[in-house]
Amino acid sequence: MSTAAEAHEHGPFEHHGPPPIHYSSRVSPSVLGMFLFIASEIMLFGSFFTVYFFDRVVNHGVGGQWPPDGFHRPVFVAGINTLILVTSSGTMHWADTSIKRGNRAGMQAGLVLTLCLGLTFLLTQVIEYHRIGFNTSNSSFAATFFGLTGLHGAHVFVGLTILLAMTIRAFRGHFSPEHHHGVEIGGIYWHFVDVMWIVVYVTVYII
Amino acid sequence: MRRGSVLQLLGIAVLAAAIASLFAIFIGWLPDPASEEAKRIHFVYWFTTVICIAVFSVVAAVLAYSVVKFRAGPDDDSDGPPIHGHTKLEIVWTAIPAVLVTAISIVSAIVLAQNGKAGANPLVVKVTAVQFAWRFTYPNGKSFGVLTLPKGRHVKLDITSNDVIHSFWSPELSQKQDAVPGQHNMLVVTPSRTGTFPVICTELCGLGHALMRSHVTVMTAGGFDTWLKSGGRAGGGAPGLAVFQQNGCGGCHTFKPANATGKVGPDLDNLKEEAAKANRGPLDKFVEESIVKPEAYIAPGYTDAMPHIFGSQIPPDKLKQLVQYLSRGAK
Amino acid sequence: MTVHEVQHEHAPAPRATGLRRLLVPGWLRIFWVTPLFFGLGLGLPVLIRWLAHWDPVWKGSVLVSVELVTTPLGFLVGLGGFDYWVRYASGRPTLPEDHSGHGAHSWRDYFRINTDHKVIGIQYVVTTIFFFCVGGLLAMLFRAELAQPGDQFFNPQTFNVLVSNHAALMIFLFIIPAFAGLGNYVIPLMLGAADMAFPRLNALSFWLLPIAGLMLIVGMVTPGGGPSAGWTCYAPLCSHQPLGQVFFNMGVQWAGASSIMTALNFLVTIITMRAPGMTFWRMPLLVWANFTTSLLVVIATPFIAGSQFFVMLDRVLHTNFFEAGGGGYVLGYQHIFWFYSHPAVYIMMLPGFGIISEVISVMSRKPIFGYRLMALSLMAILVLGFSVWAHHMFVAGMAGWLRVPMMVTSMVIAVPTGIKIFSWLATMWEGRIHFTTPMLFALGFLSMFVIGGLSGIYLASVPIDIHASDTYFIVAHIHYVLFGGSVFTIFAGIYYWFPKMTGRMYDERLGKLHFWLTFIGFNLTFFPMHFIGLQGMPRRVADYADRFADVNLFISIASFGLGASTLVFLFNMVRSWAHGAPAPGNPWRALTLEWQVSSPPPVFNFDEIPQVVGNPYEYGVPGAKHAIFGAPTPAPVPAD
Ligand code: HEA
Ligand code: HEA
Ligand code: CUA
Ligand SMILES: [Cu+2]
Repeated sequence: MSTAAEAHEHGPFEHHGPPPIHYSSRVSPSVLGMFLFIASEIMLFGSFFTVYFFDRVVNHGVGGQWPPDGFHRPVFVAGINTLILVTSSGTMHWADTSIKRGNRAGMQAGLVLTLCLGLTFLLTQVIEYHRIGFNTSNSSFAATFFGLTGLHGAHVFVGLTILLAMTIRAFRGHFSPEHHHGVEIGGIYWHFVDVMWIVVYVTVYII
Repeated sequence: MRRGSVLQLLGIAVLAAAIASLFAIFIGWLPDPASEEAKRIHFVYWFTTVICIAVFSVVAAVLAYSVVKFRAGPDDDSDGPPIHGHTKLEIVWTAIPAVLVTAISIVSAIVLAQNGKAGANPLVVKVTAVQFAWRFTYPNGKSFGVLTLPKGRHVKLDITSNDVIHSFWSPELSQKQDAVPGQHNMLVVTPSRTGTFPVICTELCGLGHALMRSHVTVMTAGGFDTWLKSGGRAGGGAPGLAVFQQNGCGGCHTFKPANATGKVGPDLDNLKEEAAKANRGPLDKFVEESIVKPEAYIAPGYTDAMPHIFGSQIPPDKLKQLVQYLSRGAK
Repeated sequence: MTVHEVQHEHAPAPRATGLRRLLVPGWLRIFWVTPLFFGLGLGLPVLIRWLAHWDPVWKGSVLVSVELVTTPLGFLVGLGGFDYWVRYASGRPTLPEDHSGHGAHSWRDYFRINTDHKVIGIQYVVTTIFFFCVGGLLAMLFRAELAQPGDQFFNPQTFNVLVSNHAALMIFLFIIPAFAGLGNYVIPLMLGAADMAFPRLNALSFWLLPIAGLMLIVGMVTPGGGPSAGWTCYAPLCSHQPLGQVFFNMGVQWAGASSIMTALNFLVTIITMRAPGMTFWRMPLLVWANFTTSLLVVIATPFIAGSQFFVMLDRVLHTNFFEAGGGGYVLGYQHIFWFYSHPAVYIMMLPGFGIISEVISVMSRKPIFGYRLMALSLMAILVLGFSVWAHHMFVAGMAGWLRVPMMVTSMVIAVPTGIKIFSWLATMWEGRIHFTTPMLFALGFLSMFVIGGLSGIYLASVPIDIHASDTYFIVAHIHYVLFGGSVFTIFAGIYYWFPKMTGRMYDERLGKLHFWLTFIGFNLTFFPMHFIGLQGMPRRVADYADRFADVNLFISIASFGLGASTLVFLFNMVRSWAHGAPAPGNPWRALTLEWQVSSPPPVFNFDEIPQVVGNPYEYGVPGAKHAIFGAPTPAPVPAD
């Protein structure tokens, strides 16, 4: 994310340029921006959980059963997938702490690992969709199932795009113990995607 | 604040309230109530109106007074007195509105509860909405396109829809309830005077929404019983006409013999011409197909808007009557 | 036209020549990138469907939905909305900022990615006024139809399209972004900042707007029929409408995205970019108002995005979110929609409250009465606003026990709103009131909004709402709060900051004429609607019972007059912008920071950061100061 601060990397005290920026808060604009963005993302997921709640609880699903007869949820595969994603949060954290300590190789390895784990997750998800045995038009159960997991999948995709950019930059020699905002902010987003998955997994697959 | 200005302010407020009250009283805002529920709703309405007139008059008075009294001269560059607030005053104008809206809420809640009571032995009428017609089904299984109710008895309408959301409303009865597919919503009315009142659909339901109108006729209790026993035929007319009306065909179609003027679907007065254009067999076959399977042929300039339900909804003998009626009446 | 002077530190990048011109951001690039993305939007879904053996490979509604994402993206890529981030992401050095993205030298600079919040503010305001005119002309069309019962000019389908788009344009492309535009222009100035926190994001969020607006307008003329399910777009009707409905669903998404991005930007700017000494309790109320509004936007807007996704999925992928036949809960749509759209009515009102606070205080030459309570009541409305959504569903057949709690919370909102109304009145009391055009609109707002708010109280009472819901009484309420409320405040704001934005004064006499024509036309048009509504005229109908003919004819004629009054406004704006008298820096003798610099302000707003030392409304307090310039600035707090 571009901040006004970055616009003046070449020296804030030149004549005729903008006056030096005065920051009125400890938190950096980009971190705050990311947190607010995540707040609105949570609300987006909230709307999907709301429709899930209406279809399942208020409307008692189809024939009072959830999942309705004939629907099978691949709890086990998705469980493995959950483990994969949780691990990727660990590797992401490793990348972040590494660069803060000046360990460039650690950061690179962490990022690549995270990327691979995330890709595995997404691929598993696609294969699961393919083999699941029902499609979007089969009752409101299917709608909320594909709705929540699909929305989350889209977020993994966005997260992976951000990760890819971070990885490219990491290998091109960007980031240092002093300048690691890129990793930190991308990391926050990735952790969010991760935590969200746990909520989705518990809601959609388990209860 | 001097006493003089308070008095002046009060004068303006009373004047404003008087004007507003005249407005409120001499324009007949609400239709004549025709149900017990409507009478209670009107009470809440007037209760709220009194409070709102009071509030509006105060605001208008202060506004008018300031506009007249505190106008700055053309070259007046001075500032007003630097008043930053006044705690007591602020408490007052927080507390008074709070009390007033609480009062409205309480009255509303009581009336709402009363208006939901159907008593021990209500007449239950099933109301089914489709695009774009009403269907009212009585306990004896007979159903009609218009509603008939007895005066003085609690009636419970059991409202649902077959396609999209509609809404049942009769302005004189005041009660309103959406018809939602997959859901049965209850509405209580207790008609309090005889007469015929409009029934309108108030939820946008597609292109025929504006014309999804019907009637409710309130009869005396005795009249209603005979009406129901006689099978609900109010008068003579061709048997097909009754089917036409019961299914609400006139909501969408124009058909002179039935005094129908709907404009959503094709004009049925020109059926012969249409049949020739469509070229799908003899007239009565064409008419029957168009009712049972409307999507089979769609007249140019129209869309597949006619419900596909009539095939299963109209029993075969009635369908025959309807087809005959339409084919004969057509030019 | 304003021409901000820009002194370049660095020579701007040399002009590209030859074929390279196709690569620089701008309209040339748009002309080849957009079709490219269009092709991509066609090819990708077809390829995927072909690979997955889905039948049919070529499916209209899917392609349209995908195209409505990819084609606008292509436009934005061509325009240069993503250049910086792509360069950043790929690890290349980002270009040093030469500030050529700031300021406007000619009218062309308004048609590119411009990162100057002042340029963006003007882009916003002009664009939204354009959409106001389009939305209003649609109203003129259907008012012509409504002048008589029966069908005259439009069939019912077209009529519904006109009504739906009238409301959608007014709400999503006029009121909400117009406030965002005024805020964009004024907030950094009021805070003593050089720009917004994320200038590039700011530019991008503006350019989503024309996309959204165009989408709604194109939707009207799609073959098969336009969006015709009302602006509320209730399921299941909405998922069974002609193809144009998809344009509506997606248009709302784009406008919503723009709105969220701006709100994020406002929030971060207000929290992190305040000048030294500018504590929260010293911020002008306009900033407070936009702060609360932005919180509302960030929290609520995702819900309308969700609701539009669901109806689109119900249509395109045949899901059963709201299809009763497949186990969906029909009313779920309304809950989700109103969980956004009720807060949205405060999104459309709170910034207006902010504008009115500025105008009334300055024009009455008195401090705002009860400043803290004013800010706190904004916050109270924010919180309460989330607890009343179901008052739009009193007759919908939702859970019965929800009715009374929702009625009570709706009523309670009258209390903080009342505090604001009475405080404005007290601000005027014993003031030295100058009846300039912005002040006239502020007073017009005060009186009209109270009427609209009181009719809201009628509707909040469940029994009355059962009678009045979905009738013209609602239409009257809508316009008293949205036109008499929001639009009046927007006019007040535009007149008030016109000198600052353009460097020229508007014509005061034309301004007053505009006000009186609008005020009278407005009341003649919308007041009788209360009456026909209670009498039994439903809303959203092209045809109505004959007994309403006279009143409707009257309303239609009045509405043409109201529409024509806008011509005075447009004429005044265009002529004054071109030929008006040059505006001094501070024509209103106001204390807030935006008036302490020249009109229009320098490219970077302040040559030096001001030091805020007091409250923004200390009129009549001898020697009081809001800010001083030239004080030694404390060392900037490092951001990282
Ligand atoms: C700017 C937009 C705006 C604003 C500010 C409001 C404000 C309010 N609105 Fe309105 N409303 C809309 C825009 C707005 N509304 C729209 C667009 C719709 C229709 C949507 C659709 O279906 O298309 C709608 C519909 C709507 C309904 C649904 C009607 C129906 O469809 O059946 C209800 C019901 O409760 C309602 C209530 C209220 C209330 C209680 C307020 C309150 O916030 C008002 C508070 C203000 C005051 C009360 C006045 C000032 C106060 C005082 C002077 C103090 C003293 C007052 C008292 C003691 C009473 N509104
Ligand atoms: C901010 C919001 C806003 C604004 C400003 C307006 C402005 C106007 N509105 Fe609208 N309206 C809504 C929001 C708004 N409306 C909403 C939310 C609905 C509900 C929709 C639904 O049910 O889904 C609605 C519905 C609605 C209806 C009910 C439709 C129905 O239910 O069938 C009507 C009917 O009269 C109406 C009329 C008007 C008129 C006459 C104006 C006028 O004030 C417009 C004046 C402006 C202009 C005319 C344009 C500019 C002028 C020129 C370019 C000059 C040239 C013009 C001439 C010479 C004539 N509106
Ligand atoms: Cu049925 Cu409107
Ligand atoms: Cu509301």
